[in-house]
Amino acid sequence: MSTAETTARGGEQPALSPQFHVAHHFDSADTQFDAGRMGIWLFLVTEVLLFGGLFCAFAIFRSWYFDSFVEAHHHLDKVMGAINTVVLITSSLTMALAVRSAQQSKKELTAILLALTLACAATFLCIKYVEYSHKFHEGLLPGKWFSAVGFHTAHPGVFFAIYFMMTGIHGLHVVIGMILISWILKRTMKGEFSSRYYAPVEGVGLYWHLVDLIWIYLFPLLYLVG
Amino acid sequence: MSAASHAHTEHAHGGDHVPHVLPLGVYLATFATLLVLTALTVGASYLSFGAWNLIIAIVIATLKAATVALVFMHLWFDHRFHSIIMASSVIFLTIFISFTMFDTQNRGRTEAIEGERPADIQNPFKASQRQAALMKSLPPMASGTALPRAPPPPPAASASAAAPSEPIVPVASASASASAAPSASTSAAAH
Repeated sequence: MSTAETTARGGEQPALSPQFHVAHHFDSADTQFDAGRMGIWLFLVTEVLLFGGLFCAFAIFRSWYFDSFVEAHHHLDKVMGAINTVVLITSSLTMALAVRSAQQSKKELTAILLALTLACAATFLCIKYVEYSHKFHEGLLPGKWFSAVGFHTAHPGVFFAIYFMMTGIHGLHVVIGMILISWILKRTMKGEFSSRYYAPVEGVGLYWHLVDLIWIYLFPLLYLVG
Repeated sequence: MSAASHAHTEHAHGGDHVPHVLPLGVYLATFATLLVLTALTVGASYLSFGAWNLIIAIVIATLKAATVALVFMHLWFDHRFHSIIMASSVIFLTIFISFTMFDTQNRGRTEAIEGERPADIQNPFKASQRQAALMKSLPPMASGTALPRAPPPPPAASASAAAPSEPIVPVASASASASAAPSASTSAAAH
């Protein structure tokens, strides 16, 4: 990996990220960059623990109502879930490449890759919308609103409560991610980022990868294993 | 890791941050790995491995998550401290889920055990000491008809050894078990 680290050199042109400066309480740009990135990682830990509570609820109710979970999970569309997984993985790739091109001060490429990431996120939400509306029509709803007929087990509503809560909060994270990506896309177009300064692109990228990472667990647990 | 140390030795003291740019191939290979693992986990879901289904799904998901974290999130090339931060969240998540399930998986089991062997809340070790003495007085694998082999039982234990089927309840615990009963029933009603 060390062969690649000389690809980009900051500071060759004085026009790179003109507004950027190192705050007086940091020794160097490196220290400032690392401090910001560590802050993002600490935030991601709180996100893991937020979803952790939901995964814990999933584990408990799955062990209590195993029959219902197995029966109910067959009503999720595996194919749509798999397509959404590929869409999110693709968006993670374009996001990672957007960070890479920002590191290389390639403004136009960064903007294109960020726009592609946005498009993937929108595709994800559209597929999710189709899935949700299908569930609404069939009455596969959480808890007491569950009205679908023909189930042989007693607690399918519990599964759909968990399903809607986990995918709903994940979907909310996708929406927030789209807002953040739009924000750095706008700043990229204004030419604020370069190899000297791309910390916001990296930070939003880390957040976006975590959203992907959560889905990597949600998909098999909800759609495949149940 | 080499990149981080490189950046610090060459560009400290007010110099610009020099990014560590990975080759394009690394990202594409990572993407391909993730697609293959996705196909693998979807394919595995069409086969039945019984209780292994969940374990296989979680192992593949963890491989994918590790790939994303190490390459896309740059943890492999980053300061080790960031990896420690991320690992700590996973460790505490494991403690959270497993310790919660120690409770939820065993609810309703204590009531049956306490019903057989009520504990004396005033002196919780008394009953177990008496029981240990009783067990010592009985021959191994023995049921009711006792032929005390080893040392003759102490007088207190021999009294109860004469009637082993009788539950070992200290006299003082009769009131304690009565007071423990409502709490057991409320906890049973709680779930």
